Amino acid sequence: MSAEEIKKQLYENILSGDFELTGGIAVKAVEENMDPLIIINETLVPAIELVGEKFSKKEYFLPDLMRSASAMKNAIEIFEKEIKTKGIERKTMGKVIIGTVKGDIHEIGKSIVSSLLTAKGFKVVDLGVDVDSETFIKNVINEKADILGMSALLPITMPYQGKVIEDLKLKNLRNKVKVMVGGSPVTQEHADRIGADGYADNAVSAVKLAEKLMQE
Amino acid sequence: MPIRGLKGGVLKFLKGEDLDSIHYGTLEVLSEVGIKMEYKPALEIFRSFGAEVDFANSVVKIDEHLLKKALSTAPSRFTLHGKNENFDVKVDPERVYTIGGSSALNVLDLEGNYRPAVFDDLIKFTILLDKLEHLHIMHAIVIPSDLEEYGVDRMLFAGTFPYTTRNYYSQSQTGADGVQDQIKMAAVVQGSEDAVRKNPMFTEVVCMVSPLQHEKINSEVLVEAAKNNIPVYVEVDAMLGGTTPAPIAGTLVEQNANVLAGIVLAQLVNPGTPCIYSIASGLMDMTTGSYAGAAPETNLLHCATAQVAHYYNLPFQGGTGIDAKIPDAQAGYERAMQVLSNALAGTNFIHLSFGMMEMMLTACYEQCVIDNEIMGAAFRMLKGIEVNDDTLSVNLLRKVGPKSAHFLTFKETSEYVRKNNWVPQITNREIWSAWKAAGGKSMRDSAVDIARKILSENTEPAISKEQTEEILKMAKSFHAKAVQKLKNESV
Repeated sequence: MSAEEIKKQLYENILSGDFELTGGIAVKAVEENMDPLIIINETLVPAIELVGEKFSKKEYFLPDLMRSASAMKNAIEIFEKEIKTKGIERKTMGKVIIGTVKGDIHEIGKSIVSSLLTAKGFKVVDLGVDVDSETFIKNVINEKADILGMSALLPITMPYQGKVIEDLKLKNLRNKVKVMVGGSPVTQEHADRIGADGYADNAVSAVKLAEKLMQE
Repeated sequence: MPIRGLKGGVLKFLKGEDLDSIHYGTLEVLSEVGIKMEYKPALEIFRSFGAEVDFANSVVKIDEHLLKKALSTAPSRFTLHGKNENFDVKVDPERVYTIGGSSALNVLDLEGNYRPAVFDDLIKFTILLDKLEHLHIMHAIVIPSDLEEYGVDRMLFAGTFPYTTRNYYSQSQTGADGVQDQIKMAAVVQGSEDAVRKNPMFTEVVCMVSPLQHEKINSEVLVEAAKNNIPVYVEVDAMLGGTTPAPIAGTLVEQNANVLAGIVLAQLVNPGTPCIYSIASGLMDMTTGSYAGAAPETNLLHCATAQVAHYYNLPFQGGTGIDAKIPDAQAGYERAMQVLSNALAGTNFIHLSFGMMEMMLTACYEQCVIDNEIMGAAFRMLKGIEVNDDTLSVNLLRKVGPKSAHFLTFKETSEYVRKNNWVPQITNREIWSAWKAAGGKSMRDSAVDIARKILSENTEPAISKEQTEEILKMAKSFHAKAVQKLKNESV
């Protein structure tokens, strides 16, 4: 496969959301000694931006967007490994730790936000569901996260978002990381009450919020 | 006399063989894929009845034999008790009733303000809803923002149960302790905890998570409710294409496996526990990821799920909130399509059918009055057409004969109309000039007037003031205890 062909296939498979293929193509690109930073910036990012545009125009639906985000993620993981071994730095939009809080196993909202953030160029570490405070904090430290995102779908698990914030304060980490919260019953009032930096009521506005928080 | 609802079931989207296929698909999922149950005692109960249990992964597999055995003890008919016999509801898989809204975080008040709900809203909504003719079961319509979230169900009880004549649809957010606290509060009215267990004036709801998961607290509540003979709505809240397969048929299978596993557990704990096969599922809007309660696909799903529940001879709760933000044309069409289709399909409890807007986030006062009106029209259609010698009216036609005449002076007309025609309350059928002369009000304006009138004329609870205060005092103490428990559990 020529370098041009590799780029074309990556671009097209991100657009079509064929995420099973993009990892393999990325491996080929690395074997061909193609510059991972250039591919990310000139192929992957424009592809996922077009996907985002199609989604906002309702040409693409959520499953299309999620599949494209996975396709992007599978390729970018290979390139990032390569970037790391070469000892160069890739500038991302920011690092986000995300998860659904302890006692809550609702997965989907957090996963959509996770995909959209990845698509936007954030590095996302998704801790899954039922995540305790200790795990959140450990990952915030280890990943040097810029943003911590917490989801809660039940009124009874909402207070746990506040608990994690309190624990961040105890560990003197509160000013090191921005905290954003979401989930169907979560409101701006709740976010203010527990001292979060931001709240978003849907995945698209969560991405906008993350961008805003990075600028603060 | 107790309330006996009209019979539904004329609207059927599934054929007999479709229902068989859904049943076989469900059997395969239950016996080969299984249900994840995070509540360990539930796993142990299943093991003791011979089910295949994978303790390492918390997965239970239920075979056909165990399913049939357990479902054989689930009652098809029972009574949900109101504060007096006139508000008792006779439940079976045919009759159609309604349940009010639940758990909204915001309100759209009678001054048109959109704001977070407070405790006073809960009481006012309950008083308003209690005066609406077509509401049969009362839910706590808002979660007040001026209260700590954890264990708030105790305060919801205090803000709702005393103010309604209807059976109260409760929930416990913290587990078995919530059920016990509520039994104690109900005993203030019912005389003793044993009296509550015999004829409970409230029920519990438990929500299962899709796909195929039973979360810990809800299972604990289910087991505790079953032990205490409290009827349970075993509910799954699927989002088609999101948390369950996109095809309606696939969602029917997932819901069925998930709900039946819960009902089986209740029956194993206490055979004969009244269980209501329940959903509050909705389409996932694939352009936003939102929950679309009033989508036509959601209505199809709910109507079809009624058939699936009835296949097992179980009463069914369907219906959900609408998506409109204000009482506008969208609200009217969404609610009307939803209520009418569910009523005709024989959804035994049309749930969240009063006042719930904005994808379950907002409760609107005047929409409750509008929904009562829509319900009245839908119930008239549910009543259907009576055909017999009297209604065929051949004798009357003979009497009148083929000549210029009218039927207004006949006693038959007067009697039939009084017995059968629905008399609207806020639906306007005047000509323009008459409507204008009467103020030219929109339906929303008229609904606001009625809501204001009801709230100005009614301020008292449905039980004594002393009992109301006693329950509030208990609720505050139970709530504080729950909040403290959460703090103690913190790392």
